Amino acid sequence: MTRTTSEGGSSAVAAPTLDEHFFRREYGRVVAVLTRTVGVRHVDVVEDAVQTAMLAALTSWTAQGVPVDPGAWLYRVAYNNFVDDQRRKSGRQRILATAIDLATPASHDLPGSRFSSEVADDTLRMLFICCDDAIPPESQLVFALKTLCGFSVSEIALRLFTSDANVYKRFARARDRLREIDPELETPPLDTLRSRLPAVQAVLYQLFNEGYLSSHAEEAIRRELCDEAVRLATLLAEHPIGAVPETFALLALMYLHGARLGARRDATGGLLLLEEQDRGLWDRDRIRVGAAWLERSATGDVFSRFHAEAGIAAEHCFAPSFKETRWPEIASLYAMLEHIDPSPLHTMNRAVAIAESQGPAAGLAVLQALAPPAWLAGSYLWDAVMGDLHRRAGHAAIAQRHAERALASAPTEAVRDLLRRRLTSAA
Amino acid sequence: MSKKYLFLMRSQPSNRQQPSPAQMQDMYAAFNAWKEKFKEDILDMGGKLMPGGKLVTTSGATDGPFVEAKEIVGGYMFVSADSVERAIEVAREMPMLMPGSVIEIREVAGP
Repeated sequence: MTRTTSEGGSSAVAAPTLDEHFFRREYGRVVAVLTRTVGVRHVDVVEDAVQTAMLAALTSWTAQGVPVDPGAWLYRVAYNNFVDDQRRKSGRQRILATAIDLATPASHDLPGSRFSSEVADDTLRMLFICCDDAIPPESQLVFALKTLCGFSVSEIALRLFTSDANVYKRFARARDRLREIDPELETPPLDTLRSRLPAVQAVLYQLFNEGYLSSHAEEAIRRELCDEAVRLATLLAEHPIGAVPETFALLALMYLHGARLGARRDATGGLLLLEEQDRGLWDRDRIRVGAAWLERSATGDVFSRFHAEAGIAAEHCFAPSFKETRWPEIASLYAMLEHIDPSPLHTMNRAVAIAESQGPAAGLAVLQALAPPAWLAGSYLWDAVMGDLHRRAGHAAIAQRHAERALASAPTEAVRDLLRRRLTSAA
Repeated sequence: MSKKYLFLMRSQPSNRQQPSPAQMQDMYAAFNAWKEKFKEDILDMGGKLMPGGKLVTTSGATDGPFVEAKEIVGGYMFVSADSVERAIEVAREMPMLMPGSVIEIREVAGP
């Protein structure tokens, strides 16, 4: 039986297996490359074009096999979709003039190797472009999740614990701002965006924490966000524009925290205290990679908040047990963190580390010197720490009061269970 | 002796939300699993049909009433089966069969 060859050429192969997150990742890559080609003001049309190309792939690849270079196939089909769309529009409004040469779609038929070598560059460019001062960080995050990680609006809403409408609003805000950018400047060389590196690091840090600190019950969902953050941070660390100690430290902390992600819950999904976790479940491979990045981050004379946080995570990862943890080291790393990025939360954490090494009274002394702002004093964390330290110091009545308040304001049932275990056990 | 069936995939034009890339990944896996399961039955995976087209009659060619059609033929496929019941089984398990879409099964007349 004869079959016409697919749009992807005659080189289709039979093996239909694709990587676990192929469609999502490829979506991000193709959106980034096509956006660079046609300009960021067209990002909506680009996303539609890539979406349509993927639907075409679904039909074509299942029938005729996956082409040798699926990324290049998707790019070509998406590009043609984009051009068709612009042609249709240009009948009514001639807006195309400069950026795109409609006569030569075939010249954008990128060979595979060239495609993959440009992808990292284009992905990072997109990330730097969206980390614009005028775009609020929560919009930057949503824009990155949608265009670079390939999550839909509803999937983002599910992961950020918010509504579809809110996600869409945040996305639209970023998109609208990017549309205002002077078309001449819209695909600036990556180099000219170098000053945005801290903002890019911050959005990746936020992306990681959305997964790591999430109270989402499904580990796979939390892990997915952490993995996306690691993937993008790795691109950044391996690119000249981002290969600086802060980025290495950021990656180190992602790996070192990520290594313990799977051990934070018991078999029924309940949260586990650090001292209850089975350290045998910590991912040794991730710890090894994290330690290597931490070592690389120790070049030069920069000591960023990421260095301090990665250092703290490393102390936990390398401690043979809870008891044998080097709490004085951790306390001094928190002190450095307070110095770099003053926050009563860091002070509170330092107090906890001090309590472990010098006893509850020493920890309480730190907390009592701190006048917690309302947001902290009213949070379950503050009451949980106060309750725990007072209980261990033998102040039963005060401990009881804090324990009750902590339980009342716990955000989830899993957190409440954990607090109950911690705050009501015998002193 | 097995017979040859033409599958016509019809669907209603809808504004249903497009699948996300992650959902497409699942659809891809489901479709391949289906294809593997019925590989003995599927003669020709056929393909998707482009929207639009022409209607030719003795009085000429027109763009046709496709736009008004409630159900648009979006794809076709050939399946070999001993009975129409078996052909129905193949069609029913097809992952692309979604609410609002219909597969029309027609036996191809023998030689």
